[in-house]
Amino acid sequence: MEGVKKEDTTILPSSENMEFYYKRAHFWGRTSIWIVIILSLLLPLYLSFILGYHPGWKPIIAGYLAYAALMGLAWTMEPVMYYPTLGTSGTYLAFLTGNISNMCLPSAAAAQNSVGAEPGTKKGEIAATLGIGAASLVNIAILLPIIFLGSYLLSILPETIYKMFEFILPAIFGGIVGQFAIKKPLFGVVGIVTALSIHLLAPAALQNIFVSLLVTITLCVYLNSKLPQNG
Amino acid sequence: MQQVMEIANSNVIWLFASLVITMVFIQGVIFIKLATNAGKSLGMTNSEVSSALKTGAISSIGPSLGIMVVAISLITFLGDPLTLMRIGIIGSAPIEALGASLGANAYGVDLGAENFSPQALTTVVWVLCLGGAGGLFVVATFTKSMGKMEKKIIAKKGDGKIMIVVTTAAMIGAFSFLASGEMIKGSIHTMVGFASGITMMGIVLISNKFQIRWLKEWSLGLAIVSGLFFGYIII
Repeated sequence: MEGVKKEDTTILPSSENMEFYYKRAHFWGRTSIWIVIILSLLLPLYLSFILGYHPGWKPIIAGYLAYAALMGLAWTMEPVMYYPTLGTSGTYLAFLTGNISNMCLPSAAAAQNSVGAEPGTKKGEIAATLGIGAASLVNIAILLPIIFLGSYLLSILPETIYKMFEFILPAIFGGIVGQFAIKKPLFGVVGIVTALSIHLLAPAALQNIFVSLLVTITLCVYLNSKLPQNG
Repeated sequence: MQQVMEIANSNVIWLFASLVITMVFIQGVIFIKLATNAGKSLGMTNSEVSSALKTGAISSIGPSLGIMVVAISLITFLGDPLTLMRIGIIGSAPIEALGASLGANAYGVDLGAENFSPQALTTVVWVLCLGGAGGLFVVATFTKSMGKMEKKIIAKKGDGKIMIVVTTAAMIGAFSFLASGEMIKGSIHTMVGFASGITMMGIVLISNKFQIRWLKEWSLGLAIVSGLFFGYIII
């Protein structure tokens, strides 16, 4: 384990290659995201003004403001919050792929685990990028046929199986917590206790992932400096 | 309603959806290529690269199936291409569902109601697209500066050790929050989460002890199946 850690944090002579990698990642990441932003704006413009179904700006602004009031914090904070984990390339990939917490992050964490890379290292970032990239392609491959056959498929699935889909999220999240808890039991306990107390005890205004992250990170950094043998 | 669905499934909207999906696909391929090269220069072996890819692919199967269920429930309201473009890809299922109903309400109707007109659909599309574009704009604009900031922090602290502690804690914090958010929904949710977590711990222990790589690659998939199977038994 010690050996692996050392290899991860050493600055390798290949830093020029990494420099080149980041340049390309920024270029392709930005290009692809801007193209999608433009497409996302052209579509409603087309519906409104080419097809002539413009509902007026009032409901659009009202709807957008309601949505932004609920999601605005997440839109600005999510990229910052997930950046240390996803890294540069992972951020570009995950935000275009979507479904970050329920698909991209778990796939990134599992990929890092499979090659023994720590999150927050260069190797960790590359492993996360490979994991999310593969996840994105598989997601497209699964969704395309299902969208075409979707309603039919659902109608022939037995009721009990269909009911189980409700439990996919706790299964995904529980699994990943387990993966980390076995590696860093102390952090795992801190994370779960913090999250549960925030969900059950904190006033509604503080019941969000940002508070949970902040408390967990602070406690873990503090405990890690006190108890290095557990870190 | 009939007329709305004809618009929602029209060729032009399919065209937009296909362009977006093609872009996501191309981006995925480009980044896998870039990361494969960079990984090699970091000393990652070919088998490590393919292991990371395989693990990502396997781990996304369960989540994709979960996404599909929410997606399908929204097809009836938004049509195929919009659902594919907003929920399956780019957005995330529960959040887009929320945005869609907020958009419809702003126009004064409910999703799927008899009076859900083309104008209501247009309002929903505006709200979802503007919302999604907001998050993407932040990513396109600030990711570079975040990279620079990270470099500075690491340079100050000498090594990346503190970053490892912070990011590991961040991962655990995020997933603990998401997991406990699911668990407080009910006792079956709780037990499914625990069953999956305990399975995962067992798999990690076994695969580390005996160095079984394929087991690591399948770990999340197996943990999800085990959690669901446990839920199926007790339900």
